Amino acid sequence: MNKALRINSTFECDLLIVGAGGAGLRCAAEVLDKRPQTQIMAITKGAHPQKSHTSTAQGGLAAVDPKDPADKPIYHMFDTWKGSDCAADQNIICKICDAAWEQIVWLENKGMHFSRDTDGKPGKRTFGGHTVNFGESSAYRAVFEADRTGKGIMDTCWGESLKRGITFINQGIATELLFSRNQCVGCIVFKQKQGEFIRILSKATVLATGGSGQIFKVTTNCRQNTGDGLALILQTGLPVMDPEAVQFHPTGIVGPGILASETLRSVGGILRNRDKQAFMEHYAPKMKELAPRDLVSRAIASEIRAGRGIFNPDHNVEHIWIDLRHLPDAVHDKQIPEVTGFFKKYLNLDPKKELCPVHPSNHYHMGGIPTSVYGEVQDISGQSIPGLFAIGECAAASFHGFNRLGTNSLLELITMGKFVGDNILAYLSRVPGKLPEAEGRHSVSQFTGYLDARGKDNIGHIRDAMRMLMTENVGIFRTEEGLTKAVDVLNELKARADKTALSSKSLRMNQELVQHWELDNLLTVSMAVAQGALNRRESRGAHFREDFPERRDAFNYHTLVSMKQFAKVEFSKRDVDMSIFEEGGKHYEKFGIIERRY
Amino acid sequence: MSNENSHSQVYKLTLKIKRYDPEEKRSWVQAYNLEAGRILRFVDLFRQINDEQDPTLAWNSSCEHGQCGTCSVKVNGKPLLACELLVENAVQYFQTRTFTIEPLNVAPAVRDLVVDLAAAYERIDRVQPYIIQPGSPPSEQDAYPIMPQSLDHYVNATRCINCFCCASACISSHNSFLGPNAMLATIVRVMDPREQEKAKRLKILYSEQGVYRCHSSRACSFVCPKEIDVAHFIALAKEGRILNKS
Repeated sequence: MNKALRINSTFECDLLIVGAGGAGLRCAAEVLDKRPQTQIMAITKGAHPQKSHTSTAQGGLAAVDPKDPADKPIYHMFDTWKGSDCAADQNIICKICDAAWEQIVWLENKGMHFSRDTDGKPGKRTFGGHTVNFGESSAYRAVFEADRTGKGIMDTCWGESLKRGITFINQGIATELLFSRNQCVGCIVFKQKQGEFIRILSKATVLATGGSGQIFKVTTNCRQNTGDGLALILQTGLPVMDPEAVQFHPTGIVGPGILASETLRSVGGILRNRDKQAFMEHYAPKMKELAPRDLVSRAIASEIRAGRGIFNPDHNVEHIWIDLRHLPDAVHDKQIPEVTGFFKKYLNLDPKKELCPVHPSNHYHMGGIPTSVYGEVQDISGQSIPGLFAIGECAAASFHGFNRLGTNSLLELITMGKFVGDNILAYLSRVPGKLPEAEGRHSVSQFTGYLDARGKDNIGHIRDAMRMLMTENVGIFRTEEGLTKAVDVLNELKARADKTALSSKSLRMNQELVQHWELDNLLTVSMAVAQGALNRRESRGAHFREDFPERRDAFNYHTLVSMKQFAKVEFSKRDVDMSIFEEGGKHYEKFGIIERRY
Repeated sequence: MSNENSHSQVYKLTLKIKRYDPEEKRSWVQAYNLEAGRILRFVDLFRQINDEQDPTLAWNSSCEHGQCGTCSVKVNGKPLLACELLVENAVQYFQTRTFTIEPLNVAPAVRDLVVDLAAAYERIDRVQPYIIQPGSPPSEQDAYPIMPQSLDHYVNATRCINCFCCASACISSHNSFLGPNAMLATIVRVMDPREQEKAKRLKILYSEQGVYRCHSSRACSFVCPKEIDVAHFIALAKEGRILNKS
């Protein structure tokens, strides 16, 4: 037994933010701006907040400029509702789309380096699924910072938090939420560099832990996106919502799955199969390459399954081409330099002269921790848990439903970060000064279990087997048989993981120890995703069941999955909010249960 | 098409990795022999070592496609991003199949290839990497207009990801110089028309630890993974040519 394994010290703060990415730090910046004396601690699993996944987002940020004569927030709301396959919540769609431009201005005024048009204003471009006049033509709605929009947001939110005196704990992981009666009062945190547990008591706790892409073999997500926030929530007995709603980006670069942004298609890139044929017109005659991501991903997967893919021997994978050869040099050099640079860097080829190999790559988790429009975490009955909030990719308000439109995730980060910041300011003024005590019993025994295990196996091998299993059975195309198999094998992998011994019992920066904890989270999230997908016997947005290929009205609800014990799943439901439709205002009929064709 | 007929080729490599155990405060070099395909990245090699030979080897990464600057290491003395170095390019560039891999010397090692980036970032924090005093936009709820030509003067400096490769390659002392990336962070805001607090910025820039510590070796520009001409911006600062007159 390792002597050092105990909770070493206790810290107190007003606000604890778990996950220092774009959403978490936008929230922090808002709180510190309005109430500078607030004590905020922010934990990041990465080496530094600037290394968060937000930094990798490329294309843009959707927002309707009130000065734009052609575009209106109602069109943005419609596109988001249609894109979600009638599974997003209209109350949050309304709130986010209405507040969007204000947040662009906030970012700009705080120093984000938006690309400019010839008048010196933030430039705009089109993106898949974004239209004016209810699908009539493409909307110029995405502001951007070249092809590094996420980096601009991350730098700005980090800078503003730093400026206002936040305290960061880098390379920390939150292993347990603390409760006093029903109120969340903080977290147990394991500091990797020091190899020690600390207790942080906090009046308000925000989960902003990001995505869970590492459950799949091919993903655009960062290495640390292991669904930790979802696992933390499930561990406490609270539900996750729509875990089966997982987006696959159509164009991951062959090999590691690095994102080749939709921007490549919005500037005119064409998808071609083995015979060099442009095939998107067969799948989405109107929008073609700019159809929503799930449609394009399935089109590519279908071409490959029909034998019209190309085999890459190095990565042992089939792909199709994206053709950028016809684009002018100015487009290559000014608009997409970072993205085309990926093809040069990772495949040693020149996109100006050669076709580029791409295939679908896991990209985004629409599902997540269910929250109110103010980011309050909810239980299965829709009751808010006092003191606990969730924002960003780990949360589901639900702005994206079953399919997210490009450029809507960055918008969600900054708007929800702001809304939750405002809500927390109000919450902090209500809660009494003294924090209740809470122990935290689970973390030490969990880590002791990792250190005491004696089995001969390898965490990396189990993780790889899980990721392959999920890609093959819980990916773009799903069936009853494949999903059932996934559930069975996940149980086996969990049993293997529990027995696996660590090579070193050291606590300081023991990467394998943290990877064991991450593997537990990955297996937990994988199980929730597979079970959710099994339960939803229909196809909707990115969730596609080959055995139930149509959307069904009987499934017009959000799935809630609770799983306090591994694989012991309980289902419940949350209604889809249709308040725009129900209020019967102008254009309300566009917000009914509508067909989703592009 | 050349890429249609590409065939897989396997390279036999030796990675000599500098290791450090913080519990025993002990450093040593450990050699790993492995086989890898031509377009695998060095982060893939580290993972392969973890999965097949030694799970205790600690290394850091995040995005693994050159956007975050977490996986910086020195390979045969050159600071670079391990996620951007492909096996066949490394073999060609260094003309060898044996590679020495060390952590960046910009902050203390925590374990093996993992350095304490928070400590390295203290230098960035000191130059205040944000707008200290923003100017007022033309009207409330408006963006501050910046002409594209004006942005072009400094946009390359905004692309820095703080991977610290430049700081590691810099021949100036890490004790006396805040470092090339810290200089870039403050130069951006001197050139940014929205920043009103120019005096404080110039004071940092021309301080004891500022640009005059630079020996103009251009090592920073040479190693920058984002191909930013860092030395160009530092040279502009030395010549006093970064103040935006508009």
